[in-house]
Amino acid sequence: MKHSFIDEYSDLDSLIHRLDPRVKLVTLVASLLFIISTRPTSFVTFVLYGILIFILIGLSKIPIGFIFKRSLVIIPFVLIIAIFIPFFKKGQVAGSYSFGSVHLTVTYEGLMVFWNVLVKAYLSILCMILLATSTKFSNLLKAFENMKCPKLMTMILSFMHRYIYVLVDEMMRMKRAKDSRTVGGKRWFHVKALSHMVGVLFIRAYERGERVYLAMCSRGFSGQIRTLQDFKLNKTDFCFLLTMAMLLIAIRTIRR
Amino acid sequence: MAKKVIEIKGLNYSYPAGAEALKNINLDIYEGESLRIIGPNGAGKSTLLLHLNGILSGNSHIRVLDLEVEERNLPRIRSKVALVFQDPDDQLFMPTVFDDVAFGPVNMDLDKEKVRHLVKKALEAVGMQDALNRSSHHLSFGEKKRISIATVLSMEPEVLILDEPSSNLDPKARQHLIDLLKRFRLTKIIAGHDLELILEICDRVAVLDGGAIVADGDTKAILSNKSLMELHNLEVPLSLKLK
Repeated sequence: MKHSFIDEYSDLDSLIHRLDPRVKLVTLVASLLFIISTRPTSFVTFVLYGILIFILIGLSKIPIGFIFKRSLVIIPFVLIIAIFIPFFKKGQVAGSYSFGSVHLTVTYEGLMVFWNVLVKAYLSILCMILLATSTKFSNLLKAFENMKCPKLMTMILSFMHRYIYVLVDEMMRMKRAKDSRTVGGKRWFHVKALSHMVGVLFIRAYERGERVYLAMCSRGFSGQIRTLQDFKLNKTDFCFLLTMAMLLIAIRTIRR
Repeated sequence: MAKKVIEIKGLNYSYPAGAEALKNINLDIYEGESLRIIGPNGAGKSTLLLHLNGILSGNSHIRVLDLEVEERNLPRIRSKVALVFQDPDDQLFMPTVFDDVAFGPVNMDLDKEKVRHLVKKALEAVGMQDALNRSSHHLSFGEKKRISIATVLSMEPEVLILDEPSSNLDPKARQHLIDLLKRFRLTKIIAGHDLELILEICDRVAVLDGGAIVADGDTKAILSNKSLMELHNLEVPLSLKLK
């Protein structure tokens, strides 16, 4: 089975793809900090950040439609959290609505916070998607490790990334085997069968974990996963880092 | 007389649940030998293999390369005795092929250049040198099997232990594997049912049934013994029947 969910476009060759993952990570964190700390009323600044991000996406040669599609997956979560803000913030009333005994008011201050949360979240999401799609997952993990992220975290993520596909395959095979033997049947029956399958999947994952551990021990594992890291910063990396720093600061200092 | 590589005396093993898996196993394996362990499903083949690098330990006396199999010798034994698991998805657990093949050598505390050299050599030996930066879940099953073998070759072992190496392989991948194994000069221990593969590679066969060794000797003599083979749920390979 071929899967390419996470790093579908990580094999492209572009300026962004060639950058050292550590540089990308640092740039991401810096960009997020700049975006988050922008005043809510600096509309021009947000537009400029947006333009900067789209230039980077353009440089990475990743189809813009793909990035939009990815962002649509995350934005509902932000909306669910942010949607209540305009109703609870006290201040100048922008409109009020009554539904029977329920009385709702929306304030200008609330709307401002709402807009602020949405625009910052969306810009941040675009940045993160760009990093995640333009970098191989394994390299991203190594960059995290290199930046002193706890080893346990990167180990868990690494195994998750390695085995999620194996588990998906296993689940799919089980489902096919079940479907091949089910003709009709009540819905409740199917739900029950599904719950058994989840149980079996859990046992299998557990047993696989044991076997993988044995395979690791057989090759000298002693509690720490060590990998060779050969990231080298080159001229492009430094140039990119400098340019990005200058642009971020420049955008920040532009007056409304 | 060739050097004794592995010496097993009176090995008994019971699973934690209580079922007896291995009963009084005595086996000597000599340098350069290709030993095949055959037997019906659930005979204890895999369990026996897991004893050879100290993953499991029963109450017994096992010596590997003149080292007693016990806690303090395990790092040395595991760098010399390479065990390849049946399912390549168990064997390949790192994000990229390079990291997987480098896993053993890095754990052996070798320096970077040496590791890189060993990885390259191991991948060349299995004909997969172009797969260096691919991720394991993008490989075909046959490719995964070959990389699995590379992951232990990179440790430059003296004994190669394979559990069911040819299961689920298509004929071409299987033939490639056989040619590959024929080329390796090291001591090989292979478990599994692929009897034709034994005829091509192995000079000695041990039959394991119900946790005990019931026959041990020359490949052709054992494989052509119809009553023995059928008694233990096995069969005489077609190529020997035709002769």
